[in-house]
Amino acid sequence: MANLAIVTSASIQHGAGGVLALAARAVTKRFPGVIANDQVNFDLARGEVHTLLGENGAGKSTLASVLCGLYRPEAGQVVRDGKEVRLNSPRDGLAHGIAMVHQHFRLVDRFTVAENVVLGHKSLSFVLATAEIEAKVAAITEEFGLPLDPRAVVGELSAGERQRVEIVKALYQGAEILLLDEPTALLAPPEVEKLFLTVRAMTHVGKSVVFVSHKLGEVVDISDRITVMRGGKVTGSVRRGEADVRRLAELMVGREINIVSRRAKSPVGEVLLSVSQVHLERDGAAMLTDINLEVRGGEIVGVAGVAGNGQRDLAEVIAGLCAPQQGNVTVCGTPTAGRGAGGARRAGLAYVPEDRLGTGLAPSMSIRDNLVLTRVRDFLVDRKSALLEAETFIKQLEIKTPGPLTPTRKLSGGNAQKVLLAREIFAVSGARVLVVCSPTRGLDVGAVETVHALLDEARDAGKAILLVSEDLDEVMTLADRVLVLYRGRITLEQTGLDTNVDRVGQAMAGITT
Amino acid sequence: MILLGRRVQVEQRMAVPKSAVVIVPVVSVVFALVVGGVFLALTGHPPIRTYLDLLDNGYTSFYGITDTLGLATPLICTGLAAAFAFRMNLYSIGQEGQMYLGMIGGTWVGIVLADSLPPLIAVPSVLVFGAIAGAAWIAVPAFLRARLGTSEIVSTLLLNYVALNLVNYFIFGSTGFFRDPTTSFPQGRAVAESARLSPMAFFTDKVTNAYPTLFVAILLAVFLFWFMRVSNYGYETAVYADSPNTARYAGMNSAWLQSSVLLVSGALAGVGGAMYVVGPAGKVDPGLLQVGLGYAGIVVAALARYNFLAVVLAAVLFAGLRTGGNALQVSNDPVPIAIAVVLQGAVLLFALGGELFRRNKVTLVRVQRATT
Repeated sequence: MANLAIVTSASIQHGAGGVLALAARAVTKRFPGVIANDQVNFDLARGEVHTLLGENGAGKSTLASVLCGLYRPEAGQVVRDGKEVRLNSPRDGLAHGIAMVHQHFRLVDRFTVAENVVLGHKSLSFVLATAEIEAKVAAITEEFGLPLDPRAVVGELSAGERQRVEIVKALYQGAEILLLDEPTALLAPPEVEKLFLTVRAMTHVGKSVVFVSHKLGEVVDISDRITVMRGGKVTGSVRRGEADVRRLAELMVGREINIVSRRAKSPVGEVLLSVSQVHLERDGAAMLTDINLEVRGGEIVGVAGVAGNGQRDLAEVIAGLCAPQQGNVTVCGTPTAGRGAGGARRAGLAYVPEDRLGTGLAPSMSIRDNLVLTRVRDFLVDRKSALLEAETFIKQLEIKTPGPLTPTRKLSGGNAQKVLLAREIFAVSGARVLVVCSPTRGLDVGAVETVHALLDEARDAGKAILLVSEDLDEVMTLADRVLVLYRGRITLEQTGLDTNVDRVGQAMAGITT
Repeated sequence: MILLGRRVQVEQRMAVPKSAVVIVPVVSVVFALVVGGVFLALTGHPPIRTYLDLLDNGYTSFYGITDTLGLATPLICTGLAAAFAFRMNLYSIGQEGQMYLGMIGGTWVGIVLADSLPPLIAVPSVLVFGAIAGAAWIAVPAFLRARLGTSEIVSTLLLNYVALNLVNYFIFGSTGFFRDPTTSFPQGRAVAESARLSPMAFFTDKVTNAYPTLFVAILLAVFLFWFMRVSNYGYETAVYADSPNTARYAGMNSAWLQSSVLLVSGALAGVGGAMYVVGPAGKVDPGLLQVGLGYAGIVVAALARYNFLAVVLAAVLFAGLRTGGNALQVSNDPVPIAIAVVLQGAVLLFALGGELFRRNKVTLVRVQRATT
């Protein structure tokens, strides 16, 4: 780490030369119903890491897209090395040495790393000079600390490795300025560390990085400057050393954030959800082994674990989406294993899946129509009451949308999640058991607050809530009891105030004492 | 693409402006006419006069419009059939074969049962049996699709050839039930009179080629438009079409949705074939094979963007091009039917191409030298 500090200070000095690499001048970009960027000014010095911080929908990604040529602003200019440039496409951006790594990777799964890197490159020979390309890719990975095998097939790589491919691709194409859109969203902590090393290696040689993020904690370390956006406008900008997390948070959400533990407020009621001796195999591999758990009315039971240890299978078994080979699931006294999603719902279960837009909501359908999705519908669908309900939710939960007839795919992640949660908590009549998976994944601070408040409210109303989340902090804050899922087994159970974060963390890593 | 120092830039629209919904199809048709005009001029026919002739023979003269409406009647049905399946992302192209089966099934009832029934019951039973036969013809592809995920495109297309050969066999290859026993000339056995409708006269004493089944077809379109908008079935199919995962999450039965949509689509095409029986043909008529109304239904559905009400208009538009084109062939200055077909093709091509303009904002941007 000492090493890092030196590199960083060097890069600051480098940037202090004050050579502006890229700037936005009074950029305005509108989308129907919203002004995503309202007269935004932004600049980036050579060798600088400049972070754009803000909630989802604050306009950070829009600004980055304008800077890389993906969007054209209605007004304002993009200035590169002191000259105004007109970027009509990302290709124009690349011609000026500006590249963006998107949150959702744009790679061909069946191609190798090297093939993906040269994809779309203009000066390719008819027959690919594979060895040469691979050597160049290897040189870049070496220089910037991006461990990658140029011959590996992208489809077999982890999210972190794919991100490295995107970065290598940008560098290969001669990018001097790299825009990283929510680069840590899909990364595990050690991978984030590696990414930061890469960023520093880039600034060290005079390249500049724009870091788009909504995660306050991590950006403070990496940034030379942080500019905060809210509602399409810049609300403040701080330099390294001046950054105060509280102040930044206030700039982001425009109000003070209140962080309190919500544990064990309501008395615990009868058992509403019970899972006993559940065993699930998929393609011959055991996904869940001997799962036993109970959730009572008025409590939140958290299931912690590293991704891929059976959380999804557990949620799907309880929700009736897949039938376990052995064992029972009982919802409000009714056995539901093997009775399908409809059976589980009729017994009183509501389910908020991890994948909001592709599973929990129908993306092209309106908020109104999505509210009737998990209701018992008559032969003719009652859209009138759904419309009233949608209007109420929009008002009460401050869902940002032009109206109840807007397709849910046009909502930001946080607003989509509000619609989904509102439906599953309030709109589904009689559901007393709630299974919630990663409810705040990818959400900004303000939306996380709302989601947690909603879950809290549901618990106080006597619902039994099973919270499955990879975010340990979230589980620790919300849950009255914590279970740890490791390789399809529950390896640890801790209750209430006795919960020991270290032991939970160890259990997640497979260490049980 | 670079034109005259400018580059064509295509950007996805966030919202489709209302005006584009009207302007784009109109402009598409105009462009199609221009392209068709080029072909007419090249083959030595004055484009404007030919178009006026086409307009007259297809739409504005009495016999022109009644012929068009008569042809449009089964076309509305096959158009509805295609639209119904395509909305669910089920690309059945078996309307042609299902329509033949509708004709066969309808004729069977018309011969066997209709004699003993009054027209008020006989005609509907022909239509219902046509629907059942059409649905039966798609039952196997529907089952394969819903249970095994087999592509419905291939299976429904192949069954079109089976159906085509079935009709040929009944009339030309055998002296069986559907063949007219009273003559050695290969033609179909006529259904009972009670199973036939008389053509509409439109308050004149003229004999037209339009039959009251037109109203049945329009009613079907209106009903589907309403039903799919308000019913739970319409809702579930819309969810499934949008996101199969969401449908699964909500506990919908995807096998039922897929197979039922395909069966209804087959039934709609089958009704189209049966309308041919109660209307102009009155028997299993190989003449239907020449018309290609099943495939045209796909075109009509695409033109209508799978909107059931728009299918009616698109079918009339399309049928008019056909009847108008046919009439031009026998005029004083005969225009080859191929030109009419070119025109139809151009309309489709431009209508689908127009989709690009509806969904995207297309602008010309001055190409700028790369600044260094």
